[in-house]
Amino acid sequence: MTAATDMTSIPSSGPVVVRKTPKATFDLVFRNASFGAALLVLLLLAGIMVSMIIGGWPAFREFGLGFITSSVWDTQNDQYGAWPAIVGTLSTALIALIIGVPLSLGIAVYLTQLAPPWFKKPVATAVELLAAVPSIIYGMWGLFVFAPLFAQYVQIPLSSIVEGMPVLGTVLYSRSPSGLGIFTAGIILAFMIVPFIASITRDMLEQIPSVLRESAYGIGATTWEVVRHVLVPQAGVSIIGAIMLGLGRALGETMAVTFVVGNANRLSSSILDPGSTIASRIANEFNEAMGLQLSSLIALGCILFFVTFVVLVIARFLVSRVERY
Amino acid sequence: MLSTLELSPQTLDAEAPVRIAVKNLDFYYGEHKALKNINLDFRDRHVTALIGPSGCGKSTLLRIFNRIYSLYPEQRAEGQILLDGRNVISNDVDVNELRSRVGMVFQKPTPFPMSIYDNVAFGIRLYEKPPKSELDDRVEGALRRSALWDEVKDKLKSSGMGLSGGQQQRLCIARTIAQKPEVILFDEPTSALDPISTGKIEDLLEQLKTDFTIVIVTHNMQQAARISQYTAFMYLGEVIEFAPTNTIFMNPGKKQTQDYVTGRFG
Repeated sequence: MTAATDMTSIPSSGPVVVRKTPKATFDLVFRNASFGAALLVLLLLAGIMVSMIIGGWPAFREFGLGFITSSVWDTQNDQYGAWPAIVGTLSTALIALIIGVPLSLGIAVYLTQLAPPWFKKPVATAVELLAAVPSIIYGMWGLFVFAPLFAQYVQIPLSSIVEGMPVLGTVLYSRSPSGLGIFTAGIILAFMIVPFIASITRDMLEQIPSVLRESAYGIGATTWEVVRHVLVPQAGVSIIGAIMLGLGRALGETMAVTFVVGNANRLSSSILDPGSTIASRIANEFNEAMGLQLSSLIALGCILFFVTFVVLVIARFLVSRVERY
Repeated sequence: MLSTLELSPQTLDAEAPVRIAVKNLDFYYGEHKALKNINLDFRDRHVTALIGPSGCGKSTLLRIFNRIYSLYPEQRAEGQILLDGRNVISNDVDVNELRSRVGMVFQKPTPFPMSIYDNVAFGIRLYEKPPKSELDDRVEGALRRSALWDEVKDKLKSSGMGLSGGQQQRLCIARTIAQKPEVILFDEPTSALDPISTGKIEDLLEQLKTDFTIVIVTHNMQQAARISQYTAFMYLGEVIEFAPTNTIFMNPGKKQTQDYVTGRFG
């Protein structure tokens, strides 16, 4: 205060400005608090990883690498192998992507490029609402509504068509046409990831300056050519990001998949047969598991963690390749 | 004020055929009538500038020639724009084919997310399937004509996004002329560029008019005076005056035109 009123060298024409001294302590606390928040993430991640590894260690020690490659899951004899669950996880996620990605891109392209305004709003809102549907609703709907219809109109007719065929007769033949299985889980997962991929992709396409789109149309490109060669590559990195987000959800989704995947412990060569995923296996057995079975479930969790991590690394790699353009 | 303008030295060819004839053209953004009864003739292989204050409708008019407005369902045009005798705003026109004949260069450079080579080849590949060697020649020719070849010949495979703004705009011009259009529309092509890049683009326009009919929208009156042979002055959706550029700038027929070109309003 004295410093402010004692100023004589500068002629002041108005009232003297009194400046507050900056609160150095508060700023210091604020900086450290934000550092702490960032640090917490690392600690959490490390903590989860360490406890998963410790929890799963007995299973890894008992079975070694065989835990990953073995297809046996026998609670009577305490023999556990992760292979069917790993295959189930990857194949349901892959089916979900194969169905879901084209659907999502189609929705996003239609909404941003072609839809008349009166139609755009309801579809966009419906997509957002689908993202908000809890996964247990998808699971129930899949089990009680979708699976019976799927069994009656797809599985049974398809099985009678492909029966006896060389490759299709194995891959598409269902021994027990209940409607539940790897493929059904993949379809339900596709419904679940579509809203995410579609809405992120839509936002990305909307952020592309309209002048770029106009100049692509301006040299005589058709809608398909504009989308394929200009808009999608322009948004490319973000679209891959959106797909990876969807893949992450598909890999880890538990409730809906547990309802419809059939929860079979053996590995079938048909995608229409029941199977299980890592998440569904854990959800099914965690309640009663003890000893080596519990360790094996935690070890499964470890593997899911690792698979998700690898997916993320591959995604980063793809992203860095695309970013060059 | 008038004396500071450098007028284009070349004389215009009053006998040149009319390439585009605009007749009784109205344009609507929804209910709003943005262009009112436009009548203009654009002569073959001449540069015609559209000038006027912001919102006068000059860009709107330009965007009708290649039907880019059709991307927006609420916009519509009524009347006639005859390109070689065919009305481009009638519904039976193939707009994609039209756009390959009427090229457009935009305010901002818009390189596509692909290599420099592919940027130029993209438009050619849409409508022709030339053998590789011919395609190479066409790409090189277009880049040479747009005065970009020497700067990019060693990095044709690298991304077009990596060029400077002025280079990107010349790349867009190369992409447009590679398609061998008949008409090229320029929508304030230098408004986002520095003076040196602007100068290069203006030199380019000078050369391009030997092969193409050019329509340019510009905010910059000096630019219109330097590069065009005909100028249309527009105001509030109407053409106030259309005449050879020298007349518009030296001896305008309407008071509004004089006020605008001397900087009294706009």
